[in-house]
Amino acid sequence: MKLGGRMWWTLLSGPRRRRGGPLSRAFGSQQPHSHPTGESSATELVRRWTEIFEKRGIPEAQESSEYIVAHVLGAKTFQSLKPVCRTKPLTPQQLHDIHELCSLRLQRMPVQYILGDWDFRGLNLKMTPPVFIPRPETEELVEWVLEEVAQRPHVAGTQGGPLILEVGCGSGAVSLSLLNELPESQVIAVDKEEAAIRLTRDNARRLRLQDRIRVIPLDVTSEGSWTPLLPWAPLDLVVSNPPYVFYQDMEQLAPEILRYEDPVALDGGEEGMDVICSILTLAPRILKDCGSIFLEVDPRHPELVGSWLQSWPNPSLRLVALRQDLCGRPRFLHVQKSRPYV
Amino acid sequence: MNTRAWWRFPALLTRTCRVPRGPGLWETLALLSPGVAPTAVQMAGKKGCPALCPLDENDLEEQFVKGHGPGGQATNKTSNCVVLKHMPSGIVVKCHQTRSVDQNRKLARKILQEKVDVFYNGEKSPVYKEKREAQKKKQERKKRTKETLEKKKLLKELRESSENVTEKRTADSD
Repeated sequence: MKLGGRMWWTLLSGPRRRRGGPLSRAFGSQQPHSHPTGESSATELVRRWTEIFEKRGIPEAQESSEYIVAHVLGAKTFQSLKPVCRTKPLTPQQLHDIHELCSLRLQRMPVQYILGDWDFRGLNLKMTPPVFIPRPETEELVEWVLEEVAQRPHVAGTQGGPLILEVGCGSGAVSLSLLNELPESQVIAVDKEEAAIRLTRDNARRLRLQDRIRVIPLDVTSEGSWTPLLPWAPLDLVVSNPPYVFYQDMEQLAPEILRYEDPVALDGGEEGMDVICSILTLAPRILKDCGSIFLEVDPRHPELVGSWLQSWPNPSLRLVALRQDLCGRPRFLHVQKSRPYV
Repeated sequence: MNTRAWWRFPALLTRTCRVPRGPGLWETLALLSPGVAPTAVQMAGKKGCPALCPLDENDLEEQFVKGHGPGGQATNKTSNCVVLKHMPSGIVVKCHQTRSVDQNRKLARKILQEKVDVFYNGEKSPVYKEKREAQKKKQERKKRTKETLEKKKLLKELRESSENVTEKRTADSD
């Protein structure tokens, strides 16, 4: 009887025999006083750092802290984190990492450089300063090119897909997303800066697209810059997000840009037209008849480009279409080579 | 500190405008309306699921965060949240699943398409049916897991109590 009673007691009291009790069992190795939705959850950290960023005048305070916290938890965005991940306590290592990264943000480092990578049209690209960070507008540029290519299948070159030149490839965002979404295409990507050449090649390898891209150091503003491209001529398309900031606007750029990104990737000269004009000068020499040029520009450029093209004595290029960005600004130009270049 | 405005697009108006030959660029620019061109609505239904009713872009209102400043190269922007409203039903979807505006727009449309389908077709909607099936499977799995755990617990306790009995017997016999 005593035995039976003891047996019964043992069965009932099983959990209590574990050291520390149910509390430590639930939270594993955490301090017994930590709360699941309290002091050190992801949500709380975001709230805390948003407040700090706001006090210090850091732009996009909430977005910045969300991206950093999500990144430390292994997610791309805060919204994509499961709710349970947002409320459970963070480990000391995670707290440390968040602190480190947020400290960089306090120095106005762009989030994309802090995280070391960013996404463009579904592709993940490595980001390293001072190589230019792809802007969301430029996703629209690629979208337009894809729409035009879809409408004109005869644009395809001898190998099947269009043969494309990208001027100013930066991280490789435009070239690589075109290669990714046009499986038959080939791209020649050029840039003036060695860091951009390295990063584009690196991203091409990471995305296993290196077989269809040639990345070449080239300054299109230099005399006779088209000569190294002649072996590949005639091309189907030229695409570019060239430096288009007006020189006088450069000093008003945010510290994120001025301190960390290469000014060469931004400064377009007096009217932001220097590189645009170089591209439009070189394009007729390497494009097929009826080949197209797609450019992202400043909203003041459509007029300037139109006038500049019309000022040629024997213009072979014509501005055929404009497109707005998602904020309603005229941001993209389609220029076409209209007759054989003499 | 930064007050941001939401840029609202009421209806479908083309964003691409062809430039007429000859002088006319200014007239063209004046005609450009602050509208949004449709992105291709991905019609990919789930595996084994019939395609859902396509969304008409004319019924949609899209919102983006428009920061102050010129945009484009002159701005570093990471807020890529998209808010998409289906005006006939009033259903709103907010998407910030990815870091890419383009991807968020497409995802928002996909999610909205499913929600709108459920709204109009209720239980008949393939989306609803699939969710019900997934829930059912999940519940079954949970039930099985619980049963297995309970069995294991019981076995362990029986084992422990029989060990105690053995100990006591050994102690008694000393």
